Amino acid sequence: MTTTDLFALSPILAMGSLCIMTMLGIAVRRHHATIATLAAASVVITLGTLPLAASVAPRTVAMLLRLDTYALLYMGLVLAATLIVIALSYHYWTLRVNDREECEEFYLLVLVATFGALILTASVHFVSFFLGLELISVSLYGLIGYLRTRRAPLEASLKYLLLSSTASAFLLFGMALLYFQTGTMVFAEVGAAMAAHGTKPLLWLGGLTLVMVAIGFKLGLAPFHLWIPDVYQGAPTPITAYVATVAKVAVVALLLRFVSDLRMAEMQILDPFFGFLAAASMLAGNFLALLQQNVKRLLACSSIAHFGYLQVALLAGGPFAAEAVTFYLVAYVTTTLGAFGVVTVRSTPLRDADTFEDYRGLFWSRPWLAVTFILSLLSLAGIPITAGFLGKFYAIAAGVQAGLWPLVLLLILNSAIGVYYYLRLIVTLFDRSTAEITIETSASGHVIPGHWATVLSLSVIASMLLWLGSYPGPAIDFIRLVVTDLATTALHARF
Amino acid sequence: MEILFYIAASVAVLATLRVITHLHAVHALLYLIVALIASALIFYLLGAPFAAALEIIVYAGAIMVLFIFVVMLLNQGPLTVEQERRWLSPGIWIGPSLLAFVLLGEAFYVIMAEHAPSHDLVYVQPKEVAISLYGPYMIAIELASMLLLAGLIGAYHMGRRRGKERR
Repeated sequence: MTTTDLFALSPILAMGSLCIMTMLGIAVRRHHATIATLAAASVVITLGTLPLAASVAPRTVAMLLRLDTYALLYMGLVLAATLIVIALSYHYWTLRVNDREECEEFYLLVLVATFGALILTASVHFVSFFLGLELISVSLYGLIGYLRTRRAPLEASLKYLLLSSTASAFLLFGMALLYFQTGTMVFAEVGAAMAAHGTKPLLWLGGLTLVMVAIGFKLGLAPFHLWIPDVYQGAPTPITAYVATVAKVAVVALLLRFVSDLRMAEMQILDPFFGFLAAASMLAGNFLALLQQNVKRLLACSSIAHFGYLQVALLAGGPFAAEAVTFYLVAYVTTTLGAFGVVTVRSTPLRDADTFEDYRGLFWSRPWLAVTFILSLLSLAGIPITAGFLGKFYAIAAGVQAGLWPLVLLLILNSAIGVYYYLRLIVTLFDRSTAEITIETSASGHVIPGHWATVLSLSVIASMLLWLGSYPGPAIDFIRLVVTDLATTALHARF
Repeated sequence: MEILFYIAASVAVLATLRVITHLHAVHALLYLIVALIASALIFYLLGAPFAAALEIIVYAGAIMVLFIFVVMLLNQGPLTVEQERRWLSPGIWIGPSLLAFVLLGEAFYVIMAEHAPSHDLVYVQPKEVAISLYGPYMIAIELASMLLLAGLIGAYHMGRRRGKERR
């Protein structure tokens, strides 16, 4: 391992050592604000190492990880989302000081999960793929059930544990089949071996399908979406935001690389499978969302649908698809963090704010919070001048370019369904009937310390939503530049 | 040689089936040990004696014994002796012992017969395993240690007493 390798690995090395530092910090001084600051500082320092790594990119280290600008972009996205989740968690745990639940390990687990996400964005090998995925999942078992004296989080944690380990078993078996056929665990070499072989044996197809089933599970695509509503509802809200953004962004980063390294777009054998996943996710997500009476479950179901839309863009194949998927993800992460951020702020020490009643008349009692929520919901629905609109536009453009007419029509139809349930929630915000009562209760609540962090992150999110929606030029140019790196390095990454 | 694999594999499948159908944790664990030994034998037959040894030492030896101890220790109290006597009734031993005997006979045959390994087998020695673990896969080792850290913290948090009770 040379010095250049160390430079290339610097974000991962920094995050790994800062996890240990945070753990030692907890051992020395168990104090909420200190540990939260330490965790936030760890993320910021890791963000600071990204330019250092970019100066030597692209570089493949020890055949497990490839640090190119594509990986670094996703790392930046993951780290920024983690920073906001940490700010929200600080708010969430300050409300719950009376619980006498030690909350310092929470930040440590978040950092370890983020470490796993960083690994996943850079992995080009089955071993790092599996280890990164498990790092996220194992940390999430602890995080989802962190409020261990309550029923719902424990139930959610157990459900996630059982289903996620089943998915991991699928993944391992799929990897074993692919390794058995090709004798290598490097993505690009597996792809080359498959391309060299004319007819595709069924075992290859089986292996690929099993790997895709596991990825579909982690993304919550339709036939494998059953855990999503329960886990989203049961987990502490900042962790719901984490599961919805960081965990999924990392998996999508890996999926894009996997698809491009294995040259799946050229083979087209799995296209029907992908198409089925996309269509089923869109339909199932939206129809389930129509039935929900719980805000967290509603957002959960809408996330199923959103990954269906993303799948349409992915299916288009080629560099434009990668660009569309990346932009869609940036918009989706911003939007979701905004929505769950508002849910966190509305939560009380006793429970998370997950009923429609919690939001009735919010616009009249806390207008700025309501405006952020409305912006997020409009962006989820894909209304113009928000980020979500451009994301959806990109997905449709990619689909049209590849001639996926049935899927594109389904996407448009589903967006129309989506508008209905998002608007239902927005209308609740303007309901005047209980406004007076809400003002009273909110006036009696004292301002908690560290409130500025939440306010700052929510306003950053709201302005990002508007900025990406109204002036996306610089962001699009940057993403286009970075994604071409994915396409070119994939071809030269043989060793 | 192939028939040996199928015998070991069917023992593993049978034992695993009993693991998930058994209602009693300790008895299920007995079958799990047999299943692990069977997969160790499969590793041996496939030309990986080192992996087979690790499977027995680490899984069947260390982890499973720990499991059984924990399950037994959890049931403390005046009724424990009576309960343990019931658990250790002779009938319980028959199933796992039969399967284990099949494996023992097979292992004896393999060691005594000393016939040449089939042509497409490559023997993996401990040295090669060590070289690849500390060469190209060094980062993977570090990642695995972080994975253990995540599991440890999660288990520590779930298992500790609440602040109220401690004070």
